Amino acid sequence: MKPFDVAVVGGGVMGCSTALFLARAGLSVVLLERGGLCREASGVNAGTLTMQMTRAALVPYALRAWEFWMDAPGWLGMDVGARVRDGLSVAFTDAEAALLEERATARRAAGAPIELIGGNRAREIEPGLSQRALLAGFCAVDGFASAYLTGRAFGLALRAAGADLREQAEVVGIDRGDGAFRLRTATGELRAAQLVLAGGVWLEPMAGWLGVHLPVRVLINQLCVTERMPPVMRTQLGIASGLLSLKQFENGTVLIGGGWQGSGTRADGRGDAFIPENLIGNMRLAAFVIPALRRARAVRAWLGLEAKTEDDLPVLGPIPGVKNAWMIGCSHSGYTSGPFMGKLLADAMLGRAPELPLFPPDRLLLKDAA
Amino acid sequence: MKGPRGAPVRILVDGQPIAACQGESLAAALLAAGILRLRDSPRAGAPRGAFCFMGVCQECVVQVDGATAQACQVPVEDGMVVLLVGPHAA
Amino acid sequence: MSLDLAVIGAGPAGGSAALEAARLGLSVALVEESAAPGGQVWRAPGAGLAAGTDPDAMAGAALRAAIAAAPIERLFGARVWLIGRAEHGFRIDLVREGRAETIEARALLLATGAHERIVPFPGWTLPGVIGLAAATILLKSQRMLPGRRVVVAGCGPLLAVVAAGILKAGGQVAAVVDLDSRTGWLAALPALAARPDLLAQGAGWVARILRAGVPIFSRHTVIAAEGTDAVQHVRIAPCDADGAPMPGAAARVIEADALAIGHGLVPDTAATRLLRAEHRFDPDRGGWHAVRDAEMQSSVPGLWLAGETGGIGGAAVAELSGRMAGASVAHAAGRLDGAAYRAIAEPLRARLAKASRAGAAMARKMRAREAMVAAIAPDTVVCRCEDVTRAEIEAAIADGAGDVNQLKQWTRCGMGPCQGRMCGEAAAGILARHVGGREAAGLWTGRAPLRPVPMQALLGDFDYADIPIPPPAPP
Repeated sequence: MKPFDVAVVGGGVMGCSTALFLARAGLSVVLLERGGLCREASGVNAGTLTMQMTRAALVPYALRAWEFWMDAPGWLGMDVGARVRDGLSVAFTDAEAALLEERATARRAAGAPIELIGGNRAREIEPGLSQRALLAGFCAVDGFASAYLTGRAFGLALRAAGADLREQAEVVGIDRGDGAFRLRTATGELRAAQLVLAGGVWLEPMAGWLGVHLPVRVLINQLCVTERMPPVMRTQLGIASGLLSLKQFENGTVLIGGGWQGSGTRADGRGDAFIPENLIGNMRLAAFVIPALRRARAVRAWLGLEAKTEDDLPVLGPIPGVKNAWMIGCSHSGYTSGPFMGKLLADAMLGRAPELPLFPPDRLLLKDAA
Repeated sequence: MKGPRGAPVRILVDGQPIAACQGESLAAALLAAGILRLRDSPRAGAPRGAFCFMGVCQECVVQVDGATAQACQVPVEDGMVVLLVGPHAA
Repeated sequence: MSLDLAVIGAGPAGGSAALEAARLGLSVALVEESAAPGGQVWRAPGAGLAAGTDPDAMAGAALRAAIAAAPIERLFGARVWLIGRAEHGFRIDLVREGRAETIEARALLLATGAHERIVPFPGWTLPGVIGLAAATILLKSQRMLPGRRVVVAGCGPLLAVVAAGILKAGGQVAAVVDLDSRTGWLAALPALAARPDLLAQGAGWVARILRAGVPIFSRHTVIAAEGTDAVQHVRIAPCDADGAPMPGAAARVIEADALAIGHGLVPDTAATRLLRAEHRFDPDRGGWHAVRDAEMQSSVPGLWLAGETGGIGGAAVAELSGRMAGASVAHAAGRLDGAAYRAIAEPLRARLAKASRAGAAMARKMRAREAMVAAIAPDTVVCRCEDVTRAEIEAAIADGAGDVNQLKQWTRCGMGPCQGRMCGEAAAGILARHVGGREAAGLWTGRAPLRPVPMQALLGDFDYADIPIPPPAPP
């Protein structure tokens, strides 16, 4: 059997986007995902599409990805609930105001149209906002998607593009030889000329198959959501330090997140346990910002694993020392910029000049002691 | 509809006074008063009312004295103010 | 608070477990969502209402009296929303009287019981359509009729309980609509022979129903409930042994202002799934249930199980399993030596074996009938909280949803405030037909909160400075 042109290992937003653009360019692509598409970080995140929580260095990428998300029916073929909303990042103390100014300035310089406004103006834009808000960053290029719809959309699009999509297909090892990669799964082997590792939190063990040491730390993010409730907010909200994401969907449910930690390890899969103090702390923050939330009932909470690299920037580029192998992912707020990151890698692999610089993994790799 | 019961109490439901009895759950009192439609379903707007009477189904969610509550979990109290949450409510 | 044992659920299983453990010298807290112990089957009458005199009412009264007199920490009206590990055991977070509380215990016993399965049909969401268990709550606890003219439908022992209860309370039963045949009960008799008290009780219910001249439609199913703001008619038709309507058979319309309907019991596994205990699938025990060994221990160290959570078995099995679990916890905690434990456990085990046969016969009568799920119409709502129809579920399956959790993500089925308790079995049953069975469809991921929790209760009074905001995100 002829080897695939490309094997992509990992079916989150990074792997799916890369595979989709490559398949649409006419390559034979196989995507292997040990569970279901977009069931890990890409399916359980808060769906926040904001420039204000995106690292300044990643703003140019997030701006382009924002266009992708808002046009999901166009390029992805399905509505994933992406909606444009005004975004506010709020400061309640002088220290936070200073932090907000610093962060807004950096992001504005990177291209995000963020304007600093006073508390009163912020309350005109968001009438439900706490009276205690002093200063806010306002950005109209903001909004959210429903992360849990992403897997369905990518599955349909990948099949329509002719990709060979294999879910419930865990790769357990990769060998090299005969000018191709040999991927071993529980049900058999397959070969591909080029390889993309897109394992997110699991990118570290995957890279290990190729003898490459990429340290990836694991964040255990807690989120919770209310039942459907009457409208209490109309914007997407965050705070100066970046530790709150708060939005109300069209269905009336309010989603509370921001990176508050639970407990667990990579081996646990979806995170092991909630840390109640952090769940309540997150809820308190949300209810402080939008006091009407005090009357809400929380109906679901969950944990998701997010990948963190040493410098909080993604990997995206060729794997040093391994010809025809690439890696992508582990980005802070990776979901936000996912589709554009995938396109970048696909372009690079197709020999086209990528629109924006890649993120060579070299800088993060460790040389293990012999 | 009712067997031997506790002392009478009066509650307000969407502004209307309703007679109930000590010891009843609000859901039971509403049923006895002939108020079966408590809310509308979220997407189809279909009539909904108490279904399981044991705190599981969440169909009997109403506003009691300003707070969201499951009517089957709330014993009636004299002077209780109940608002039905759906658009059909007066 | 440093406890030897926290028991969650004060029905026959949990109540008995707490009493046994306390009797053997353990420090015990008993946590119950309702205002008083009893669970579903031994539910207490509402305050100010007279106690009943039937066997279940008496058993419930005895349990409540024993618990009131025992050296047990009682937390009633307490809704548990989170369970996790603590340094020396488990941490239980609950809300009581609108305030958040936390308890810790070295061992945890879950006796959270079962909830009713109702297979969706057109009009099942109409006000006035209630579960059979709901009807028993109205009759026993609220001393109230579900309606003036009630159709009682479905399967299992609750059919007779509810119909007889309505008649006893002076109400009218428009019809009993039984999925089973008249001879179906006879097949269960050998197992029930071990429980003459149950047999007598059952015979009493049937006698009352027959004396009242209530029309009994055996091997019939409800095909629709109809009405504008509430149910006004119930449409029924003959069905096959699996509960599927017979094609071409004439439907009959019955006037009614209430329909009490139920199709069996399903173990409540929300807490056992949250704690990642091992579960097993057995269609004769209510489907997915938590695994427990002969000593009532789960697969999680320090976590014990009693009652329906470990598989549907009925009230007698629940009570005995609770006492066994209480003794086992005491033994594991070193308060009972081997010989003393065996002296308690062995007789219990023998009685459990006997009670299990009757319990198993009852449970088998309540097994999921796949044909009823297959018969759900495309535009019938399956997930009540989110208005998700069968057609939407089938569309997600056609797009590739392969397990219940993926189905939930793609349709929102199970994301509403009932947390999948009303729709979970039906949705899984629909998926099961495409993936090779209910077991293959999988187990819903366990999550917190275990019930919807008012944020106000968790937040308390606080100012901005009280919020432990983590260090800022990277610039």
